[in-house]
Amino acid sequence: MSYLPCGVYHEVYRQDHAFWQTKFVIWKMILLGVFIFFVIPYFGGLYAISVTNLIFYTIMGALGVQLLIGYCGQVTLGHAAFLAVGAYTSTLLMLQWNVPYLASMLCAGLLAGLWGILFGLPSAKVKGFYLIMTSLAAQFVTVEFILTQYVSQIGGRGQAFSLPPGTITIGPMVIDTDTKVYYLGAILTIVLTMGLANLLRSKVGRAWVAIRDNDIAAETMGINIVTYKLMAYFVAGFIGGVAGAFWVSNLAALSPEHFQWFWSLWLVGVILIGGVGSLYGTIFGALFMVLILEALKFIIIPLTPLYPAIGMKMMSLKDAVFGLAIVVFLIYEPNGLAYRWWQTKNYFNLWPFSY
Amino acid sequence: MQLFLQALITGIMMGGIYALVALGWTLIYKCSGVLNLAMGELTLIGAYICLTLYLWGVPFLLALLLTVIIGFILGLITERLFLDKLIGEPVLTVIMVTVGLSFFFRGIIAFIFGTDTVIFDPPVFPMKPIEVGGIIVGQVYIWSFIAAIVLLLVFMAFFQYTRWGLSMQATADDEMAALSLGVSARFVYAIAWGIAFVSAGVGGALLSNINGLNISVGYLGLLVLPAVVLGGLNSVPGAIVGGIIIGVLQNLSGTYLDRFFPGGVKEIAPFIFMVVILFYKPFGLWGWERIERV
Repeated sequence: MSYLPCGVYHEVYRQDHAFWQTKFVIWKMILLGVFIFFVIPYFGGLYAISVTNLIFYTIMGALGVQLLIGYCGQVTLGHAAFLAVGAYTSTLLMLQWNVPYLASMLCAGLLAGLWGILFGLPSAKVKGFYLIMTSLAAQFVTVEFILTQYVSQIGGRGQAFSLPPGTITIGPMVIDTDTKVYYLGAILTIVLTMGLANLLRSKVGRAWVAIRDNDIAAETMGINIVTYKLMAYFVAGFIGGVAGAFWVSNLAALSPEHFQWFWSLWLVGVILIGGVGSLYGTIFGALFMVLILEALKFIIIPLTPLYPAIGMKMMSLKDAVFGLAIVVFLIYEPNGLAYRWWQTKNYFNLWPFSY
Repeated sequence: MQLFLQALITGIMMGGIYALVALGWTLIYKCSGVLNLAMGELTLIGAYICLTLYLWGVPFLLALLLTVIIGFILGLITERLFLDKLIGEPVLTVIMVTVGLSFFFRGIIAFIFGTDTVIFDPPVFPMKPIEVGGIIVGQVYIWSFIAAIVLLLVFMAFFQYTRWGLSMQATADDEMAALSLGVSARFVYAIAWGIAFVSAGVGGALLSNINGLNISVGYLGLLVLPAVVLGGLNSVPGAIVGGIIIGVLQNLSGTYLDRFFPGGVKEIAPFIFMVVILFYKPFGLWGWERIERV
């Protein structure tokens, strides 16, 4: 939490419990809302919108990772599995049984949550490195085995489920352009982020943080560790599932390729760069990672005439940059971007009496 | 029965290579407490160095020796540049740094060498398989296994009888005591990374003799994890036995279970097996038992 601005004091408890504590914050949020809902779609152009869609997806995917790693201390390197479960559930429900998109999204979230509980069960017994290993197993068993070998066979569509235009509809509206996907993504991201932020302020959230800080102490204080850990896995899986279902609307065809191990690591990288244990961190990390890769594209495109093979090698260069970014951030800025943001904000909040 | 023996023998041969890579992993963990997820990329680096030298016309054994030397130096550099700054940081940070390193290495390798499969040409080992009692084993497997065993023995001797090896054992046992006896812990960490590069590189070079070399050989680095978990994270004999068991298990499940679960059972079996081990015996066969119920 950051400090209140200099000279502002709460007088009643209701102010102290408020989600947004000062008028200034409320205006800031309204401004942000205007920016998201009006400025970007009307003045941003299609390219900015498609990049922002990717940012929304990354934020939603990383929220679950942030919850597990940053707030509950359960390290996971297999979160793409939950995204994949969500995406596949939603797609199959729509293609096979013509379930409406939003309903399928809810089912996707629930199933991914249950899937999360299933692979969260080992956390009742092991932790640390061993837990990382089970999350790896979750990734490979789910994506490389179950989805690739079995689920992809359903309906005889071959390895990739193609999503013909007009499949994804909300009521009478067909989600077919990037702009519509954009609005959907914006609403979902805001709902999920605020939902999680509120959950983290509640009893459940405090229990998670207690488990993260010291699990044995948490247990002695009467927190049922296993229940709360599984709850964290459920919520993380749910958010992941909804994120996966959202991403379906942006795709022409769904295949296990979209949920490789790289994507799990990518999400962990996002929260590490943004800052572990901070929802701001999730957002900053997603912005930073997506934008830096887009910037990389702009650097590479002018180089193509000089060195033609570089376009082909873009993917590997992307991996290398991603890896180096994680390493450099962890060594030189272990608290992430959110920490800098916190410092800057406090500087202005406390000004002119910074002590 | 013959099918079983065939799968068993092939599994043991492959397991030898896994054991070699697992040894490198265990060493790093034992000495410096770093859980290294970049092992697969270390095998790639070694394999590509060896292959490039071989394609330039260097004899295979000399190429392997040069791989060992270059790998060792790369290991020292990596440790000094990245891992040295992380001593005393939380485990997650260190793990994620190794993950970042793995992407970095992988990207660099793909950038330099491309993603196509390359093979040792002309083949290092004769193509004609050897047949013993109806079991057919390719010569590549036999020689790789022998090379792996020889290297394992060399490493064992290194730990038991040389000054560096002894100082590594001391650091692994009790870092504080080792420091007070004049062992330089930083030196030991550097050596551990050097050896990890070497063992992974040789494992990768041997493995790429069997199926050719492309970026997916790095998958070996993930297979090592079940092996070390089975053996116990900090046990050198455990890594060797675990590697061989995982090799056998992988081949047996590929032979027998493929009928029931067509597709990638061979790749997945070690991980499922690993989860089962974690449930019942989380500290492996010979790992330190630190009981902490959560």
